[in-house]
Amino acid sequence: MTLSELAVTIAVLGALGLVASRFGLSAIPAYLLAGIILGPNDPQLVQLVQPSEVTDFVAELGLIFLLFFLGLEFSVERLVRSGRHVGLGGAADLLVNAGLGLLVGIAAFGPTFAAVVVAACVYVSSSAIAVKALIDFRRLADDETDLVLAILLFEDIAIAAMLGFVATGGGGVATTAGVTVKALLFVGAALAASRWLGAWLGRQLARLELEFFVLAVFGFVIAMSAVAKELELSEAIGALMAGVVLSESGVREEIEQRFFSVRDVFAAFFFFAFALTIDVSRLGDVGWIVLLALAATLVGKVGVGVVAGRLGGFTARQGINAGAALVAHGEFTIILAQLAAGNAALALADRDTIVAFAGLYVLASATLGVVLMKESKRLGRLLRPAGGFE
Amino acid sequence: MPLELKETRLPGVGVKWSMTPASGTRVTVIQHNDGEREVYVHRRAGDEEPAVVLELHDDEARQLGALLGGAYERPKIVEELEMALGEFQIEWIKVPSGSWVNGRTLADCGFRKRTGVTVIAILRESESIAGAQPDDVILDGDTIVVVGKAGQFRQVRKLLAEGPTDGE
Repeated sequence: MTLSELAVTIAVLGALGLVASRFGLSAIPAYLLAGIILGPNDPQLVQLVQPSEVTDFVAELGLIFLLFFLGLEFSVERLVRSGRHVGLGGAADLLVNAGLGLLVGIAAFGPTFAAVVVAACVYVSSSAIAVKALIDFRRLADDETDLVLAILLFEDIAIAAMLGFVATGGGGVATTAGVTVKALLFVGAALAASRWLGAWLGRQLARLELEFFVLAVFGFVIAMSAVAKELELSEAIGALMAGVVLSESGVREEIEQRFFSVRDVFAAFFFFAFALTIDVSRLGDVGWIVLLALAATLVGKVGVGVVAGRLGGFTARQGINAGAALVAHGEFTIILAQLAAGNAALALADRDTIVAFAGLYVLASATLGVVLMKESKRLGRLLRPAGGFE
Repeated sequence: MPLELKETRLPGVGVKWSMTPASGTRVTVIQHNDGEREVYVHRRAGDEEPAVVLELHDDEARQLGALLGGAYERPKIVEELEMALGEFQIEWIKVPSGSWVNGRTLADCGFRKRTGVTVIAILRESESIAGAQPDDVILDGDTIVVVGKAGQFRQVRKLLAEGPTDGE
């Protein structure tokens, strides 16, 4: 990739992102679209950027920073504090949507490991898109927003558990068991470090000058990712646990402030680079999977909103609002597909199918989800004119 | 009777408080993790769409909060104001220009001896003094922050304007 190619890429990313944001959409589908347009596959309008070691590397950094931030925000205390909706709503969501996702996966790939990957991709909604839209559409004051955020928090934690599995699972029983043991040891060590070394690490970091503070945090994240990768776990696990270790360090907010922009830039490249490998001409093969997954998502997510809402004391209309906020899929679906694409236990053809599926599914659901959120109140009034009390 | 305030954590966003004042409107305050505040006012508690949404930066929110709390502490705009502290009050008093205290230390002025109040801070454009000491100097244009009982502030103003009457 040359500098001028990079310049054009950034210009396209910026322009499409801006257009999306003007329409109240998330930037994630815009970045994917940019990758599809500039990439080498169909549509072959502009074949500016070839996937290369450079794009792979930048995308890897994006993945690392996305997961590092997820780890930073991780806290069992917060999970407990956010109250009653988490357990009930989160469990209902996992059961229904991972279940429906698995059915879609089995329909597409048969009862294989690839089906499990599809289940995870369909299960996990986009926190980034939902939170942005809740703020944009002024829904934060609504009571059902508590339910949405609680479910998203549950999903974040569930997906952290799935990352390693999707990246390295699916081999023989012995290798899977070996990887699982290694992953558990690594996560256990990181959790112990977070608990007993977190505060000390925070004090050492706080003492550094700004320049070295940034460098030290950066180095720590990359080192943890590298160690995890060398252990043949996934760099995703390493980055996630780097975040977890630093989440209790007392310098979390400072880290977030300093690295927000780094994350956003590299995350944009991550989505872009991922989309370079999406081949739209495969719409014929994967189109029906995408449609099936969309239908499952609409039924599953809105259904969970209504059912969990009802159990949590909300009206049906509030439940529809909550469910609509969960339709958009984004960063996690892409991350899972990217990790699956690097998993040698999956057949090469299946990996390509998963990448094409995930990209197109995110494009469609992110757009549909945001439109649905915008219109959910009107939709609720149409479906439940009496206010939804029964 | 204090309003019932419902607090909810919004994971990944911040904290939300909501209350329903006697007027029947519903007021929701959201404090984002980055310090931004949003205030939503629903005209009736059951309304779906807010009638008013106010977005405030951290400093603006504090200013509004101080205003609503009746403790507006910007003496440059509101030169003198009272804040109830049980039986005591804190008061901001502007030093009139040409006052005899200009250039004198707090010890020289003898506020405590003459009026019974204590000067706790001196507010000045260039640099304010918190925790004022006896040898701190008062200048023209300063605002002094004093603690005392209700009746004593009149004496302080008189002392500033007219000088000591005890011949010292």
